[in-house]
Amino acid sequence: MSVQAMSSTGSGRDSFFTKLPGALPGLALIVVTMVVIKMWIEPWMAVTKVFGMQKPLTDAFHLNYILLAIVFGLVYRNVIFAGTIPAVLADGFKLSRLMIKTGIIMLGSLYTVQAIVQLGSMAIFLIGGFVILSIIMVLWLGKLMGLDRSMTAVLANALSICGVSAAVATSPAVEAKATHVAYAIATILGFGIVTMFISPFIGHALGLTDLQYGAWVGTGILNSGQVLAACLAFNPKVAPGTAVSVGEIWNIMRVISIPFAVFAVTVWYWSGRKGEAQQGQQKSLGTLLVEKFPVFVLGFLVMVLMTSIGAFGDAGIKGGPPPSETIKTLRLVMQWIFGFGLVGLGAYIDVKELARAGGTPLKIGLIVGVTKYVLALIVVFLIKDMLVSI
Amino acid sequence: MMKQIVVAVDGSDVSAAAIEQAVTLARQRHLTLTGVFVIDGNWPDYIGNDWQSAKGARQGFLDYILKEQEQQAQAAQTQFQHAVAQLPNSHFSVMAGDPTEVLTGIACGADTEVLVTSKRVFQVSGRPSLKGLAKTLVNKATQPVLFTP
Repeated sequence: MSVQAMSSTGSGRDSFFTKLPGALPGLALIVVTMVVIKMWIEPWMAVTKVFGMQKPLTDAFHLNYILLAIVFGLVYRNVIFAGTIPAVLADGFKLSRLMIKTGIIMLGSLYTVQAIVQLGSMAIFLIGGFVILSIIMVLWLGKLMGLDRSMTAVLANALSICGVSAAVATSPAVEAKATHVAYAIATILGFGIVTMFISPFIGHALGLTDLQYGAWVGTGILNSGQVLAACLAFNPKVAPGTAVSVGEIWNIMRVISIPFAVFAVTVWYWSGRKGEAQQGQQKSLGTLLVEKFPVFVLGFLVMVLMTSIGAFGDAGIKGGPPPSETIKTLRLVMQWIFGFGLVGLGAYIDVKELARAGGTPLKIGLIVGVTKYVLALIVVFLIKDMLVSI
Repeated sequence: MMKQIVVAVDGSDVSAAAIEQAVTLARQRHLTLTGVFVIDGNWPDYIGNDWQSAKGARQGFLDYILKEQEQQAQAAQTQFQHAVAQLPNSHFSVMAGDPTEVLTGIACGADTEVLVTSKRVFQVSGRPSLKGLAKTLVNKATQPVLFTP
């Protein structure tokens, strides 16, 4: 028996241009949504009075177009479309998620190589420490709570590095079952959604600077899209030194560590199964680096190099000349692209899936996730004088 | 239109009980029995697959999961064929899509006499939302549905 369900239902192998015509209705709805948010809702929130309070939606609740984009996406899927995006819109919503990574590639225009080295060298210690700590914690808790060894391995990388990417990258190597991956994904996404919404409030309440906030959520939140959303919700400005410029460097440092963590956890998994015939796909570190290295990070690095050689004019880095018109246009385009992508991110949140996640994976996920989130905040406070702005 | 008994099969112990009930019904009513396994086509959407991911990460995972589901479909077919060996009219079908939507479609099909399914079918390799499959069938089915534990 041979079945082709995945390829017939859109595996992602189709090219961008093949998908584009079918994606237009969904993309059109997303664009209209963002235009309504940016042109009418956001300006209305900036002047509206509620219960005698001046501008409470923006000043007290810190609502901006980023949070509204996610909320609109969430409402589309879970309320208006009752859990399933209609087929005519589905391709457009799926394609919009690509815009988050496209935007992250464009974010490379915020940095020069020197700035990347400066920020990255700070990030590498914090991220490296937290990745190792989280993996050890999950492996220990998994053993303590009697969790299946392959489920523990998937959860270890999912909670330590980059959520979904790490979970799916690890699974084949540790013989994980589909259901293990599904529960790991639901656990990390559920935790990430909560932190994505509460982090801006906490950040403002504690009076964090963009640098401190970016370093904190870049370390404490797992998913690239959620880090981006949490940073832009704190400060929607896209420029060097803003929360998003810091948080995404932290996030990229973590994403880069995926092949190394997959290798380490795979070695741990098979070390506990000595003497058994190996069924999984244990691979060399070199092979893993080629296979698991995220394509969008390469695009980001190319943008950094182009910015460094002045391909877009002056980048507007602190202490230098103001940004060129090209750079200003790029930043404006990024704001819109992120908005479109985050409507898609919101529509990707299936409340049914998250509500039904549970059991030991959820317990471990909550323990490790909360520990990491709180500890990252404490560490950022402790090293705040060592953090250098770009 | 020829009516049929349909049973959801996933190769697990829970679906063995459902097949047993379905075979009894098919014998009593002299109807065709169709076993159904659903390959979950929602995985690409669930993991957010796209071309900017790593070369072998997400697509590699989808290929891996598809292989697991094909093996499970094979196990389900074996389980079904073993249970219906003495039955004159029976078929086994592998379908693709969201298991909840596929089973709901069957439970609303004009040619379905009864859909027999375990409340926990497809959970052995499924996404968390499949825990709500039985509830969805109760709410949406227009044809009779017989649930086994």
